[in-house]
Amino acid sequence: MTTLASCQDLSKSYGNNKALDQVSFEITAGDPVALVGPNGAGKTTLLSILSGFIRPSAGRVTVFEGAPGGKKTFGKLSALPQDARFDPRLTVRRQLAFYAQLQGFTGKAALHEVDRVLELVKLEQLIYEKPEALSHGMGKRAAIAQALIGTPELVLLDEPTAGLDPGNARHLRQVISNLSDQTTFIISSHNLSELEKLCHNVLFLEQGRLQPQTEQASSAQQKSYLTLLLANGSAEGLAEKLQLLKGFVSVEQKQKNEYLIKYDAQIAPMFDQLLLRCVADNGWEYRQLLKGKSLEEKLFAQS
Amino acid sequence: MTRLLLVAQQEILRQFCRPRGLLSVFTLLLLWYLILRYPMMSAIDMVYAGQENEMADSVFDSLGLGSVMLWSAPEFAVYWRVVLYLFPVLALVLTADQTASDRERGTLRFLALRASRDEIFFGRFIGFTINLLILILLTLLSIVIVLVWRDGSMQYDYLNSFFIISLNLWLVVMPFAALMALLSATVNSARQAILWAVLACILITGLLNALAKFWAPLEVLSVLIPGVQLKPLAGLAQREVFSLAHIPLIQTVVLLAGGRYVMSRRAL
Repeated sequence: MTTLASCQDLSKSYGNNKALDQVSFEITAGDPVALVGPNGAGKTTLLSILSGFIRPSAGRVTVFEGAPGGKKTFGKLSALPQDARFDPRLTVRRQLAFYAQLQGFTGKAALHEVDRVLELVKLEQLIYEKPEALSHGMGKRAAIAQALIGTPELVLLDEPTAGLDPGNARHLRQVISNLSDQTTFIISSHNLSELEKLCHNVLFLEQGRLQPQTEQASSAQQKSYLTLLLANGSAEGLAEKLQLLKGFVSVEQKQKNEYLIKYDAQIAPMFDQLLLRCVADNGWEYRQLLKGKSLEEKLFAQS
Repeated sequence: MTRLLLVAQQEILRQFCRPRGLLSVFTLLLLWYLILRYPMMSAIDMVYAGQENEMADSVFDSLGLGSVMLWSAPEFAVYWRVVLYLFPVLALVLTADQTASDRERGTLRFLALRASRDEIFFGRFIGFTINLLILILLTLLSIVIVLVWRDGSMQYDYLNSFFIISLNLWLVVMPFAALMALLSATVNSARQAILWAVLACILITGLLNALAKFWAPLEVLSVLIPGVQLKPLAGLAQREVFSLAHIPLIQTVVLLAGGRYVMSRRAL
């Protein structure tokens, strides 16, 4: 697989504060990658370094076999920088056309490309507006459109759905999902359920350090867990009933109606089907059955 | 190279093809008309009157205005004296926001994904200085119109003076634009850039003068202060004005090198 970006012992300090501490990883072309971590963990710093907006204090960063912000990345790497705003003096369409021209599109081709990306984020009706006429959510979508100009190979999205209404957030997830055949996305977000739907790989940063257990989301251990989410008030005698199932190991209630079930995959490789039958036989209503642990469980629960 | 030119072109279009930019150009030209119509025309009339007086040469010489008579027409002489001090101030104001507010707003990040920092920095500088050149040419054109109006014909000497003045004036404003490129890359707003430019010019001049009293060779450093050549330049006419052209060129190169260094290291 093609390596798009790699970091080796990457560190970034602001005074005495270490925003990133010896972070090493590699991004290959493929499925979207989630970048998660608590506030101040270094997510935005990491994306800013990969984009070439800031310089690392130590370590080595390569993007498309060149330095971040170098000519090798133009047209191949794009980003939705956090809190970046357009020039208020020019219309969104004119600014995006200028960016398209910088990426090599000429005249009419630049305008067609702008119309295409604005249509992707459902902003085609506002192309002649100046940025100040757009709401926060619309401005965000315009900035996302900016990141999609020229269908880059790698797109870094910093909090792409923050400030978007649920409908537009869902639409954006669909756009990312549709484009992920041609583009690799790195998505930083606090919305774990959103990332769970989009991403297979997770980079988990905590206090500037990359946590090793989350480098791959689907480990062998994952295969012996199921996460069951039931509808309200319908789990009477659940633990007792589950104990009767072949291969069952343990059950743990994580939230009000959420259960993490451990089973032995060697004894019962089709345990999920046994569980569904058990749910149906007992008249319980389930809302979701997830193979493995939820992303939140993987990242934040101490096993 | 294409990206550098695109960045420069964007600045020119923003100034001359967008309503807000055009409004500021129109305002400047209106102010220029008032300056030309009243103080400058009076001064031009005085020089014309002096030309008819045999004593005028010695009077102008005694006032340090001897070069006035050396220009191809009094209009150019007065224009040269006025704009030599007016355009550097105008350059400070008009080129103050080369990168500061775009960086503060985050717009530079969108640009930096598609153009190198050098291309943004030098492209903006080129765009802003071309805007200044266009303003210089427009004001100079007004002088030519006045001349043709007065003489009823266009002479070769006038064209010659036109090109000498426009090129020299462009050289004069370049270090001021370069200073603002450096400051704009350093501070967070155009207002701060103007403030620092004024402070830097005054304080550094004062400091160098004071230090030169203790050690005279230090005076040579004053060659790096934009505008240091303006006073002697005002006393020159026609092709002589090129004799000091190396000073703004050196200043521009030094200031742009400093600005490029800051731009390459600053967080966007």
